Amino acid sequence: MPPAGIPASRALPSRESTLFKEVLHYYEDRQLKKGLKAADTILKKFPNHGETLCMKGLILTHMGRRDEGLELVKQGVRYDLTSHICWHVFGLIQKGQKNYEEALKSYTQALRFDKENMNILRDAAHLQTQLRHYDALVETRHTLLRLRPQLRQNWIALAVAYHLSGNILEAKHVLEQFERIVKNVPDYDVEMSEILLYHVRVLEELGEHTEALALLDTSAKSRAIIDRVAIMEFRARLLSKLGSSEAQQAWQGLIDQNADSYDYYKGFLSNNGIDIDALTEETQSQALTTLRDFAQQFPRAAAPLRLALTVATGDEFKELVEPYLRSRLEKGVPSLFTDLKALYRVPEKRDILESVAHTLLDSLTHAADAPCPPTIDPTMYVWTLYFLAQHHSHLGQHEKALELLDTAIAHTPTLPELYMFRGRVLKRCGDPFGAARWVDQARLLDLQDRFLNARCGKYRLRAGLVEESVEVFGLFTKKDAPSPSQDLEDMQSLLYLTEEADAQLRNGNYAMALKKYTAIQKVFDDFEDDQYDFHGYSVRKFTVNIYLNLLKWEDTLRSHPQYVHAAIEASRILVRLHDDPSIATSASQALSDAEKKAKKKAKKAEKKVLEEAKKAPGTATNEDKGLDASPPKDDDPDGSKLLQAPEPLERAAKWLKPLNTLAAGNIEAWIAIYDVAVRRKKYTQALQALTHAHTLDADSPTLHVRLVDFKKRWSSLAEKPSENIAAAVSPSLSKLVPDELSLERFNSQYLQNHSSRGDAILATAQALRILDAPREEVESAVFSALNADVELRLETAVAIDSFLLELKSPRVDEFRAGCQPRFGLATLFAPRAELPELRKNAIQRAIAETNVEKDEVIS
Amino acid sequence: MQACNLQNLPENYTLKYYLYHALTWPQLSYVAEEDGKIVGYILAKMEEDVTDGDEPHGHVTSISVLRSYRRLGLAKRLMIQSQEAMATVYKASYVSLHVRKSNRAALGLYRDTLGFTQKDTEKGYYADGEDAYAMRLSLKHFAR
Repeated sequence: MPPAGIPASRALPSRESTLFKEVLHYYEDRQLKKGLKAADTILKKFPNHGETLCMKGLILTHMGRRDEGLELVKQGVRYDLTSHICWHVFGLIQKGQKNYEEALKSYTQALRFDKENMNILRDAAHLQTQLRHYDALVETRHTLLRLRPQLRQNWIALAVAYHLSGNILEAKHVLEQFERIVKNVPDYDVEMSEILLYHVRVLEELGEHTEALALLDTSAKSRAIIDRVAIMEFRARLLSKLGSSEAQQAWQGLIDQNADSYDYYKGFLSNNGIDIDALTEETQSQALTTLRDFAQQFPRAAAPLRLALTVATGDEFKELVEPYLRSRLEKGVPSLFTDLKALYRVPEKRDILESVAHTLLDSLTHAADAPCPPTIDPTMYVWTLYFLAQHHSHLGQHEKALELLDTAIAHTPTLPELYMFRGRVLKRCGDPFGAARWVDQARLLDLQDRFLNARCGKYRLRAGLVEESVEVFGLFTKKDAPSPSQDLEDMQSLLYLTEEADAQLRNGNYAMALKKYTAIQKVFDDFEDDQYDFHGYSVRKFTVNIYLNLLKWEDTLRSHPQYVHAAIEASRILVRLHDDPSIATSASQALSDAEKKAKKKAKKAEKKVLEEAKKAPGTATNEDKGLDASPPKDDDPDGSKLLQAPEPLERAAKWLKPLNTLAAGNIEAWIAIYDVAVRRKKYTQALQALTHAHTLDADSPTLHVRLVDFKKRWSSLAEKPSENIAAAVSPSLSKLVPDELSLERFNSQYLQNHSSRGDAILATAQALRILDAPREEVESAVFSALNADVELRLETAVAIDSFLLELKSPRVDEFRAGCQPRFGLATLFAPRAELPELRKNAIQRAIAETNVEKDEVIS
Repeated sequence: MQACNLQNLPENYTLKYYLYHALTWPQLSYVAEEDGKIVGYILAKMEEDVTDGDEPHGHVTSISVLRSYRRLGLAKRLMIQSQEAMATVYKASYVSLHVRKSNRAALGLYRDTLGFTQKDTEKGYYADGEDAYAMRLSLKHFAR
């Protein structure tokens, strides 16, 4: 008879029951083969034994036979729905698949049948944290503490759970209780030190500054808190908040310890009532005096001098900036211009910088063909030229910049920075091909420098040379990686992925662009998953302060500019696909030969892998492949499957979802959200997006196009979605587009108000197209961008070019020719037939040649 | 930090490895920023398996400054902040690091500017087979 409470279907005879215990044991020790054998022995007699089926499934999963394993586990759960083992195993598998929601559900089931299982409780807590179910987390942590109050980490974990749930007061109470009972803490205990620092932080967050300071001071004195920098930072901040007279000294102490931290100077000044970001006449001079004092105290520190430059104006600025500039030019500091660029927001400072730098240059200039006279420092001469080139290019005076750079290169032909910047100037002028060529030259000057190499790869991508860029990136990627691209993707290089995706998009290869943007999304998914292990680790290690910062960072992860960019671009591709599904099929036909070759190669490699997998006997090895689902192999090398996948709009909406909260200040994000929402017939959401965009920039050209688009769609709806929605949409829409104006009139009014803006002209033409104006009218509207009195930026000209192409306009080449005189140095507007030749010229020297040189350098 | 490393150095890691450092030894890693952009970093740790008779010591996993931010003394400043934390928080008696045999610039920085001494050569330390110099620097001067 089975023991009471155990269902008959679960109970095993004693021989099998012992065997089952062995299965568990083998699994714990990861003796997978033996575990599997034992499980099979049980299943021979009891093929429907749920727990054994689950364990077998779990073991198979660990051995890499994931699909088979999952099937068995599901079966096992069905045979025994009240077993905590079955649910636990199911949860483990789901967790391995990163399906945290479902995993937590399984764990919750498991806990119903075994309320006090420590392992299950702990895993559940981690899942609850990952999913931000903080109230449930508090309960779980409570149970854990009740079961094992002697474990220090259980106390801290509960405090952290309260903290996360927003109940900081309760977190404090838990810490107080813990500190009362904790015993035998060794001296200089890093863990206890972290706990006490956390306690101080909790008090500070509660606004109990006096208590926080008292705890900090006693703990620091008794050496219970040993992180000296943290003590000083907390102390200075708390003393300031308390308005204590000791605060000044505390900030001074921090500056003594690290004289290059802007935060410390800001803290020092703000303690004296000076807000460096909002200076008044009075505080301005106080701030300057203070910073000058510090600059004298710490002659080697850059921060006080640089801050003084931000604060000073007029003659004082001039007096300070001259030696600042001179000493750094003497040293040849490459970042000098980037360092000072922020000052250019004040026109007066910009002019002073220009005149000071030119005066310096004049004092250094000598006949170009004569040798450098001994009175002149040749290094300083070159770096001054470099600085001024950056200065003039920044102000849009690119010819002047190129002239200065040519002088510098003639003087010192070995400095890669000069070539890199020459490339950058050309890029700004609209010559991506020349730009790539110059940056390639920079790379050739120092073949061992990965930074120069990466720049070269990036510039090749900007010139549309995808394969050639991968070749160059490949000089520094791991040799045993499947390909340079794969290595960079595995190493989560957002820079590379973004640049390649953008390049593919510019080349019209939507499939590959979407594939690379998707790789970016995957990187962010991984970043999000990365926190999982730390939910347990950090409370074990007691590094909770930094752990809380990590969670906060994870919560805003997708506000990262590269995610935002990828999401917007990917959603645009998907919207385009929705509007014109033929792109998906035409794209795959337009594969270049090289891509076809790559595809063939990938297929071959895939076949090989499959064959090898077949050869390898599945069960012979004990190797543990873990529970985490390994990344599926790439069965879509050219991205065409991805592009052809169904429901493009739903996918686009998923991309954009995080942007609602995390990129709320980005108008292009709202526009993208609109584009998707309106096509999904989510009219309220679409209008909300437009309203948000309107508050950010009412005059935005891209917004104008959408306003026309929405109004037209809305008024031509055969049937309004519902009374409620109509009632919500119509009045808000009237606020954005006045009812009494026809859309044509609305459009021409917008043009009148912004007739000198190239981007506004493009927007009006796009609106005309939406309003079904004849092509000729749209064309002539957009051509007015070439009028002499219109401010036409390079990006706008490029956008107009693509717009005309989209219209299949016969006037494309005419527009390109019209751009030539406007953008003298640009090659982007060369006749289309010349582009391949220009591309070819973007390469300074083939990689095969440089490889030989590199070997020589190393050997 | 990760992006900065990828642009500069041949040894790269995924983000999790950086997180692991930060969440185990939160005091030891530092960054240099320009307008919020990271232009240099030091990623450091305490040696975990200290052999018998050896004292606790720190290890620099990776240190790097973007090419365009050199000659500002950033590497040195980053190193000093980290070393001080190693000594005061973890009572490290010395700090160790590995450097490629061919990396003369870094070798110069460690030896001449920072005072490291060469302790050993580790054959084939790097993935591509290059040897590494194992270097160390005493931190006794931070003890107080």
